[in-house]
Amino acid sequence: MKTKEYAILTDYLTKNYGDFTAVNNLNLKVDKGEIYGLLGPNGAGKTTLIKMLCSISTPTSGGARILGKKIPDGDIASKIGYMPQETGVYFGLTVDQNMKFYSRIFNLQGEKAEKRIAELLKFVDLEDWRYEMVDNLSGGMKHRVSLACTLIHEPDLLFLDEPTVGVDPELRVSFWDYFEQLRDNGVTILITTHYMDEARRCDRIGFMQRGRLIAEDKPLKLLEESGKDSLEDAFLAFARNEDTMRMEAV
Amino acid sequence: MKFYRIMAVSRRVFRGVVNDKRSLVLLFLAPILAMCVFGVAFSGDVENVNVIIINQDQGFTPPMGDTIYLADEIVNNLNTTTLSIHNMTSIDDARAEVESGQASAVIIFPEDFSENAILKSQDQSYPNSAEITIEGDDSIVNIKTAITTTVSTALSDTLTENGVTPAIQLNSDPIYGEDAEFIDFFVPGILAFVVYLLTTILTLITFVNERSSGTLERVLSSPVTEGELVMGYAITFGTFGVLQVALLLTIAILVFNIMVVGNVLLAFLAVAILAISCQALGILLSSLAKRAEQAIQFFPLVILPAFLLSGIFWPIQAIPEWIRPFSYLVPPTYAANACRAVMLKGWGLDKIWPDILALVIFALLFLGLAIWTLKRGKN
Repeated sequence: MKTKEYAILTDYLTKNYGDFTAVNNLNLKVDKGEIYGLLGPNGAGKTTLIKMLCSISTPTSGGARILGKKIPDGDIASKIGYMPQETGVYFGLTVDQNMKFYSRIFNLQGEKAEKRIAELLKFVDLEDWRYEMVDNLSGGMKHRVSLACTLIHEPDLLFLDEPTVGVDPELRVSFWDYFEQLRDNGVTILITTHYMDEARRCDRIGFMQRGRLIAEDKPLKLLEESGKDSLEDAFLAFARNEDTMRMEAV
Repeated sequence: MKFYRIMAVSRRVFRGVVNDKRSLVLLFLAPILAMCVFGVAFSGDVENVNVIIINQDQGFTPPMGDTIYLADEIVNNLNTTTLSIHNMTSIDDARAEVESGQASAVIIFPEDFSENAILKSQDQSYPNSAEITIEGDDSIVNIKTAITTTVSTALSDTLTENGVTPAIQLNSDPIYGEDAEFIDFFVPGILAFVVYLLTTILTLITFVNERSSGTLERVLSSPVTEGELVMGYAITFGTFGVLQVALLLTIAILVFNIMVVGNVLLAFLAVAILAISCQALGILLSSLAKRAEQAIQFFPLVILPAFLLSGIFWPIQAIPEWIRPFSYLVPPTYAANACRAVMLKGWGLDKIWPDILALVIFALLFLGLAIWTLKRGKN
């Protein structure tokens, strides 16, 4: 029997920093073509998890398969797009120079690159700022440049670490419209967010606490299961539940 | 390794530097300024030293002939660029001038100076020698040396003019570096120093930013490998090193009229390899700093050893012997050595290869370590 190919499949993935366990025996399955939202407090291990999945952090133990291939893998690297929290764009370059650089490293050149850059700049509404130094842009604009750079090579799998911080509500909505459009074209998206309205738009969400996945399901199912009417309350309910279970185990 | 990715990184680094006016000033104007300031200030020539002459010489009249005043002849032969001569009669007043700092030394010719000098030269058994006494402020070594050297030169010139030839002659004929001045020794050194310093510091800062802005992670999550990233940096900073040297050399030749006997392309080669190892050193150091402010704390660590040990401002022979082995642990030593050999002695690759080899070894070592720290950073 051929096993199902997941976009992301982790196998007891663990990351320790000294005595601190950032990600703890995590088993995550994300289907191809879904938007999976990771929610949880700061320090829950969301970013560390994403870094391991992008092969920029080596797991302490366990492993992961991305798009069916065991990572790290050179071919997979060109199929994923990573948008780091710290924006990951060069402040000392113009928007155009940033995008040209990120297209070149994926061997996207000439007219093809030009067309793609124009398309993305239009989407993130930065056409008028194309030749401006990123340093001179506002925080939200920098995030938009970052997103455009992430999408430049049309990745199959996107890791977006808080992509909408500082982005105004109107643009956030259009980002999400675009994410859904990408998903409909078969792109898988793993996203972290603190905005609950965004979490509701995910196909599935996973609550993370202390490096573990404490609950995951469709947003509405999670609300149902916890008997709460907001995702914040649902998360707290699951977190409390988890704590009680841990106490009992001790 | 894919060449297009290396070149993409290289172009990116190049753009970043060119976009930033301050980096450009640092890379290209600061070295010129440094060369001019150091070149002029350290030119090594002591000039206009105030000295006081107390000439009590009564002269000597031989049985047949005119009176000879040897002290006057010596004073006339003193180099007046180095010394600024004032005459006084009272030794006490003259000493007071030195004590108050108005003059650096008193040069005293006694009454019987000519008499003793001439009689002694005619008859070695004559009991008295002619004496010149220099009483001075010996606390500034350069000035003291300049005064004694000037006086002894004037002395031997005067003796020669009077037909007295010393029994032993010291001949100094240049094999290399005829008419070389301090600036000729200094420029090859400053080339190496400037490239070492600016490349290391600029890469350090650039790379710390690369870490803190998340770009390093984004780039490493792409197909770009650690090796490609480091090579991209190496190409750009190697090129900048060559450009810096070309600019500095042009100005040094035009303004300071420095000596270039050999093939400057070899100097470019040495400096380019130096720049490559320095940028790798910058990347290495960047792994120890989280923010630019922390990186600044490394500056003394980068600057001082090279400044003191690499034979840029003074020859390695002037460094205490026990500390000299450390000189061979700082890469600019070899670059300064190679540049000097090429420019002052006209040596070719057949002779400077040990320096080039040392530079290549440093470059490979630092490149390897830089890549290793980047990979290790994932743990």
